[in-house]
Amino acid sequence: MIIKTFVKETKESWRDGRVRIAFLIVLLLLAMAVWVGVRQYQNVNEQYRTAKNTERILWDNQGEKNPHSAAHYGTYAFKPKYPLSLVDQGVDKYVGTSIFLEAHKRNEAQFSAAADQTGLARFGDLTPDFILLFIIPLLIILLGYNSFTKEREMGTYTLLKSQGASNWKWAMGKWMSLFIPIFAITALLFLITGILLSNLKDFGVFKWQSLLTMFVIYMGYYIIFINIVLIISSRAKKSGIALVLSLSVWILACLAAPKAASNIAEAKHPYPTRQEFAANVLKDKKDGLDGHNPWSKESKLLEQQVLAEHGVDSLHQLPFNFDAYRMQKGEEHEAEVYFKHYNYLKDQFAQQSKVYKGLAIISPYLPTRFLSMAVAQTDYATHWDFADAAEDYRIATQKFLNDHFAENSNYGDWSYQADANFWVGLPSFEYDPPELGEILTDNTSSLWILGAWLALSFSILLITTKTI
Amino acid sequence: MISTKDLTKKFGDLTAVDHLSLSVKEGELLCLLGANGAGKSTTINMLLNFVAPTSGSATINGLDATRHPIKTKEFITYIPENLMLYPMLTAIENLDYFSGITGRQLAQSSLTGFLEEAGLQKDAFHKRISTFSKGMRQKVGIAIALAKDTKVLLLDEPTSGLDPKASNEFGNLLQKLRGKGVAILMATHDLFRAKVVATHIGIMKDGKLVQQFVADDISLPQLEKTYLETMNYKEVLS
Repeated sequence: MIIKTFVKETKESWRDGRVRIAFLIVLLLLAMAVWVGVRQYQNVNEQYRTAKNTERILWDNQGEKNPHSAAHYGTYAFKPKYPLSLVDQGVDKYVGTSIFLEAHKRNEAQFSAAADQTGLARFGDLTPDFILLFIIPLLIILLGYNSFTKEREMGTYTLLKSQGASNWKWAMGKWMSLFIPIFAITALLFLITGILLSNLKDFGVFKWQSLLTMFVIYMGYYIIFINIVLIISSRAKKSGIALVLSLSVWILACLAAPKAASNIAEAKHPYPTRQEFAANVLKDKKDGLDGHNPWSKESKLLEQQVLAEHGVDSLHQLPFNFDAYRMQKGEEHEAEVYFKHYNYLKDQFAQQSKVYKGLAIISPYLPTRFLSMAVAQTDYATHWDFADAAEDYRIATQKFLNDHFAENSNYGDWSYQADANFWVGLPSFEYDPPELGEILTDNTSSLWILGAWLALSFSILLITTKTI
Repeated sequence: MISTKDLTKKFGDLTAVDHLSLSVKEGELLCLLGANGAGKSTTINMLLNFVAPTSGSATINGLDATRHPIKTKEFITYIPENLMLYPMLTAIENLDYFSGITGRQLAQSSLTGFLEEAGLQKDAFHKRISTFSKGMRQKVGIAIALAKDTKVLLLDEPTSGLDPKASNEFGNLLQKLRGKGVAILMATHDLFRAKVVATHIGIMKDGKLVQQFVADDISLPQLEKTYLETMNYKEVLS
């Protein structure tokens, strides 16, 4: 009976012109989104490679120069575009793509894609994640809102019941008739995406298992929607009521809940303003050693400590350039200050995420969104990870430069210039994003919540269809 | 095959069916006559377990319809006043689905055979139900009964709205099913059709079976007179 009902429902849906048109529109939108995504991905990746190579060439070819001048000259850490960002762009568009690495200062990522767009960017982009998260649930509603109500309205319900049809098998047939086309359309999108990505040159860290994980997450999300739509249809008296109720659930789950969750999270754990943050950093920096100021109290204290350690009474007698040494110590103090303040930001972000993820129980959209962005490596956590890696690299770079300056010159010798070949000795910045296993471990709560939504919606569907 | 014993259904203060006892054996066709609200449809609904009886019992093939709702439906085919099928599917697809949901896997040739036996024109087999008249839909309903090899046929006003030709054809189909041993219970207002097709006729009033005849023992004019008298339609009689 399950197969018979599935075949019957599929025939009915296909012969209904509205459903055919809706399907074609969704397919067309998906095709366009993937095409635009691939082009954008290729474009950004090309820019990334060019910028990274150019920047490295500039660094390596600085010629003879004072290492601390080179530290101020700086370099860039570029954030790679990850293959699965083709499916889910996440927050990539808003967080910037490169971080300027220089002495004494930790900079924010800059040059976000959104900053390059006009106000029209507020209308959003046609991306696969938009279709996957918003449009396909709408398609599920269109396909399934009248699954049970139409039987009552057409009068076929009486004949079915009189034939002794099993409610459970009947409902499963209807469930399959919604699941199979959605499965097919989603599988097609992911398969095409996978083939495209694995055939692109330098497709980076793309892994089929990540794509498969993402596919499974989205299928879980759609199953929840299918269950909800069928539960509503089995309880509603009329198709019109079922449609309005299903659309209301969509609005609440996909539009209202994320915004409400975001507002609650921000209200409970607010970020400091940019001015507050900068002022706090400046204050703490002033309270410690400034590598450029040899007359400060902290510098004098350091001087005395170093002289005592080496058993000498003049900085000129030290086996290294104390100016560069002081510069390094100043860097270390500044790095600590940044570490402290950015850790506070990260703590606030973690608290916000906790609230946000906790609120995921009110909407299946939220855990799906978190997991999708995380697996695509386009979420805030990945961006933080990248920013931290860039900061570690900046600190290591400063040490590399200051140590060379200290070891190869004497105190007061600011005219020292490193050899033109010295710069190639600095390792390139390479960022390895978290592996899939690590990502899933970090998002266990979202997986549990999505699982709970699945179990709950299936249980309710089973109970409600028993008493149709 | 079909039997009720002291079957009663109350909706609040209203007694829709009042201690109804009847029996329809294999190959018999009992027509229940009565005004609207007499309790005919409620009786059928209790036999189908669509409505639970307040007291008494309704049995199909010896099984209590309330206690064995799924098992008893294996023997039943029900054709309501307006048999509604899936309009986007063809006649053969509808037949395939409705016979398939009870677990029967029928070949295309069997399906067309049943439709033919039910009297549906061949050129309509592959047409969508949305283009069918009521009479044609009733024929598909009979084909469903044939495909199911039904033992019990419950009919609720099946000929209302049918033209005389379609009504006659439907009557002939019922005779054919009766000849196969099917027990048929038909609720109707159509005295003429009842007289023509039934083996037994009962008249219901206020939920009670107040008159019962062997169809051959009563003429149509007598049936009409008895019916009107039972219903107390004095103006009509005068």
